[in-house]
Order: sequence, then structure tokens, then C-alpha cells
Amino acid sequence: MRYGSVAVVLTLAAASGVMAFALAARNSAATPASEAKSWTPPRTAWGDPDFQGVWRYEAAIALERPGRFAGRELLTDEEVARSEQLEKEQEAKRLAGEEGESVGRRSVAESPIRGNEYNSFWQDHGRPRKVYKQTSLITDPRDGRIPYTPDAQKADARAAARYGVGPYESYLDPDTGERCLTDGVTGMMWQGPNGGHNRIVQSPGYVTILHEEYRDRRIIPVDGRPHSGIRQWFGDAVGHWDGDTLVVDTTNFLDRTNYEWASIWTRTSETLHLVERFRRADADTLEYRITIEDPQTFVKPWTAVIPISRLPDGTEIYEYACHEGNYAMPNLLSGARAEAGKKAASR
Amino acid sequence: MRTKLTVLLAGLGIVIAAVPVWAHHAFAAEFDAKRPIKLKGTITKMEWINPHTWIHIDVKRPNGKVERWMIEGGPPNALYRRGFTKDSLPLGIEIVVEGFQAKDGSMRGNGRDLTFPDGRKLFLGSSGTGAPLDAKNGKDR
Repeated sequence: MRYGSVAVVLTLAAASGVMAFALAARNSAATPASEAKSWTPPRTAWGDPDFQGVWRYEAAIALERPGRFAGRELLTDEEVARSEQLEKEQEAKRLAGEEGESVGRRSVAESPIRGNEYNSFWQDHGRPRKVYKQTSLITDPRDGRIPYTPDAQKADARAAARYGVGPYESYLDPDTGERCLTDGVTGMMWQGPNGGHNRIVQSPGYVTILHEEYRDRRIIPVDGRPHSGIRQWFGDAVGHWDGDTLVVDTTNFLDRTNYEWASIWTRTSETLHLVERFRRADADTLEYRITIEDPQTFVKPWTAVIPISRLPDGTEIYEYACHEGNYAMPNLLSGARAEAGKKAASR
Repeated sequence: MRTKLTVLLAGLGIVIAAVPVWAHHAFAAEFDAKRPIKLKGTITKMEWINPHTWIHIDVKRPNGKVERWMIEGGPPNALYRRGFTKDSLPLGIEIVVEGFQAKDGSMRGNGRDLTFPDGRKLFLGSSGTGAPLDAKNGKDR
């Protein structure tokens, strides 16, 4: 899935204006613009910081800073207020079944595909998204852009051009998400076709993250053990506590993610080093900070700070038996054969 | 009012936010944007399966012939969170589907819009997370 480029086009609001400071961005990054308050993070019965519950990313901040925010790391209070108002209005209109610009979508006439395949009914877009001051999820480098190597930049363009277009010669050609395998670990906490619901469960010495889509799960030891050295799709994760923060360090990725198709930044090459920091910014907000280092793809490490919302107690995650009905696979392969047949006949 | 607000926001440099849409699969590879369909049919089966639901409808053509179509719907988990259950689309009711036909020309399509014959759109809203317990909790997110 090309979540990366989708995230890039997601924007909160635009305006010209005031320069902001990185320090301020750091302090307020994961606190919803409207509800900063002091709060003591909870602990489990055995004394670890407690992250248990169901979490979902509910903002729509661009991963990379849109050009119109160049040089600005934060929205002004006025812009935040306007964005919040707009989100509320769009929510009401979505619930009323409106389509098109009034709910922030292109009309089907403008683009029948790429996000307009289904009306709002089919998707979980009812509530207003949370507004934060960040103008991009990426906070380092300061320009908010992914520091691709020239080769990775080309690979990203190639992946974008092929996505949804083909060629589809084999079941191996669609990306790993379309194949019902996984969308990978780098975006797991905050992306997903159904909204990226994650349940965090803790026991002494372990933190487990259950991700609804693809039934992905990560069982992360936090008992001080070293890396195992075993290469896996989700790598070899070990965690430790740094005060109220959970730090998860993952290496030993297995490069099987067919990254010609996945968003290029999400690829897990064997040289990827992923460091994740989980911190509860307030009762309902998890500040999820990822630092991605991979000389095969990036000229330097980069960091994104992602505010993730806690869903109410009683929220469940459900089974996702993706192969149960993955009609998409035969449909897209037979679609490609039909196209090829048409081309051959017209020669 | 709406127009006024849009103009106001545009004037202030606010760009309407794109709704985050993460289609599960490559729509363009599976369905043909040049083959829009509009079908009126009776529901014969609802497949409540991952990663997408599929609705089976019988479409009666003017010549009396019945075509059996399969229409792709939203993911079952997302639908359930929005308060949608199997009872929301009972067998035997008539719906109008607008969408796009499969590229291979078979009687499969996606259901972009589903409407009851009286014009009511199949659209269930929830101001909460969509989790069924939300209303009981009285939380509004």
C-alpha cells in the first residue's frame, strides 16, 4: 500500500505566517492542540509504565511537510481553531451522507479512483479528526522531509507509478498488503486499511502489540536481553524502559517486503535500524516517536513524532482473516489478463 | 452559509483537508474506472468476510434475464464499528448500486454508492469511534 504518499497528501490547513520554534514543537507535539493539561502516567501492578488499551491514530498530519508550510514547524493558534472548526463541519456533513468537496474529498467525476472508490459510508470517517500544531509528522530533519538517497528517490517514483497499474504477471507482483500478508512494521502503529487499531497488552518482561489488520502482532521483550540475531519480517525487537518511556530497538529485518510496491520509506531492508519511543503525553494520547536509520534508503536518520489516540474502554479489535475473501487477488490478475488480451487483439 | 464559510476559509488560505483513504487494494487494477455501473437488484447473499464484504444481488434485465452480480463493500470490521450488522442489509430487499465493473468484464463490481429504491442512501453514521460500546459510554470523540 502506498500509505506514505497518502500520508503526504493529508493536510490539516494552510496559511502564511509566523515562524515556529523546534523546542515548542517538541513540547506540544503529541498533545492535542485543544487539551494540554498536566497528568501522571499510570503504572502496571508490577511497576512498569502502563500503555495497555486500544490505540488508533486519529489525526491527519502529513508525514512530510507540505511545501506551503516550508520553514514552519507549527500551526498558529488561529489556524488550529480554524482547522478544528472545519473538521467538525466535515464530520457533520459526512454523517449526513454528503460527498465531494464539502467533506474534503474530490468528486467522483474528478477522480473515480484513488480514494473515491467508495462513499463515506464504507469507510470509518465519521468523527472529526484531531488537530495538532505539528505541520508534519517528521520533526527531524527540520525541513520535515524524508532524506532519501538519490536511488531511493527514484525507487519511490517508480513504486508510485506502478501502484495499482501493474504489470501484474504473478501473485507476487501486488504489494504485501494486497497479498494479505502485512503492511510491515514501520507504519503499524498508525496506519492500516481499517484505521490501524492496536491493542497493547503488557505482562512482566513483555509488551505485546496486537494490530488488527493482517492479525499482525509483536511480542517485545523488555527484560534487558540482547538482540537474538534472527532475521524476521518484523525484525528482532528488544525493549527497555527509560523513565516513563518504552524504548524499542529493532534490527535484523528480513528484506521480503516487495518494496517496489509498498511505500518506499516503509521498506525493511537488512540495514534498517528502527528505534521507537512510546510515551503517554496525557490520558488519551500516546506520543509515538520513530527514528529510522537505513543507509540503503536514507542519507541520514530521520524522526517522526506521531500522536496516537486511546480509544474508550470496551473498544475491541476483531479478527482479520484476510485470505478468507481476498477476491482482489484473482480479480486483479484476471483484470491484467483481460487488458493484455485486449492489447494483443488490437495489434 | 456553507458557501460563505468555504469562501472565507479559502480566503484565509485554508485548504480543505483530504479525508484519509487507505483502500486495501489497488482499485485501478481490479475495477475499471471507464466502466461505471448502476444496478438495481435484490440481495441474495451477504458475505461478511475479510478483507472486504461482498453483497450478492440478482439483477433483472428488461428482457427478463436475471444476472447474478457480486458487489464489493467495506471491510467488515469498519462496518461493524459504524453500527452496521448483517441485519442492515437483509436478504430479499432491493438496492441500487453504483460503482465500477471488474476489469475482466465479469459480473463483479465495487459498490461506491448503495441506495434503497426510495432514494434513502445506505449511510449509517456514528459520531463515536463506531465501537458499539461508545453510545453506552456516552463518550464523544
